[in-house]
Amino acid sequence: MVSDNISKQVIKYWKIFALLLFCTVLTVLAVYVDFDVEGSIAGGIFIGLTIAVFKGYLVAYNFMHLNDEKPMVYWIILVTLVFFLILLFIPVIWESTLVGKY
Amino acid sequence: MDIKIPYNEDLRPDTGLYNAKLGIWLFLASEVMLFGGLFSSYILLRAGASVWPPIGLDGQSVAHLLEETIGLATFNTVALITSSVTMVMSWVSLKMKDISKFKMYMWITISCAIIFLIVKYFEYSHKIHEGFIPAHDTYMALYFTMTGLHVLHIIGGLFVLVYFVMPDGIKMWDDEPIRFTNRIEVFGLYWHFVDLVWIFLFPVLYLLN
Repeated sequence: MVSDNISKQVIKYWKIFALLLFCTVLTVLAVYVDFDVEGSIAGGIFIGLTIAVFKGYLVAYNFMHLNDEKPMVYWIILVTLVFFLILLFIPVIWESTLVGKY
Repeated sequence: MDIKIPYNEDLRPDTGLYNAKLGIWLFLASEVMLFGGLFSSYILLRAGASVWPPIGLDGQSVAHLLEETIGLATFNTVALITSSVTMVMSWVSLKMKDISKFKMYMWITISCAIIFLIVKYFEYSHKIHEGFIPAHDTYMALYFTMTGLHVLHIIGGLFVLVYFVMPDGIKMWDDEPIRFTNRIEVFGLYWHFVDLVWIFLFPVLYLLN
């Protein structure tokens, strides 16, 4: 029974590997597509980062076993994510407070 | 007197984890903030630039070189993703008590890490040879800082990977197989995190310019 479960896990890991490779190809191809968002590359950035987030989710959920972890790990990740988002939004807050001042 | 360190195999009743696992997750939390600070700087500098990548004092931009290196960076992405799956497979091999498969997957992981570093060496030397050093512009400063920090993580991980397949590292398997399996799981978490960081560095630094 245990070895059956492990065999299923192994198949899943290789499927995730194939999916990650496919997503990598998609990310590279997205560079050459003109998403035409008001003459900027905002569309490309959105698509590229969305694929990166999906790939990150695949690695964390499957390879780092976040699909089956103890509550303590989820708490650590949650607190980290909150501070990480604050850190990422500091430049946005910084920029918005400067607008119109100089 | 032989003192046994507690909770390196058994789960602590309060956390539900063995100690090393709690330790690595706290360490990874600090790593998220370390790289997070750099990503935050990237957003700030990019939002404030009229052209990206910026034009340096010599009137040149690294944009044309980046297009040339997309192939190398994609190859490196494949190398790291492969190393991630072989890392998790080496842990599965220990769960199945197959030490020869464990060694095989560990050596593949080591090879992928070495390939990544070799490609990075060629990439760095090409850019430096063309005059695109960290002082050239803010993009190059960020590029070398972020990828350099990531490379340091790969080098550090490589030492640990090699230790685990050397006689000194692997001898724990004979005496304390559960503890050794836990060590590989904990190191695997670190290695997947390094892969995770690259998954974001790749589009941010090479593609979305």
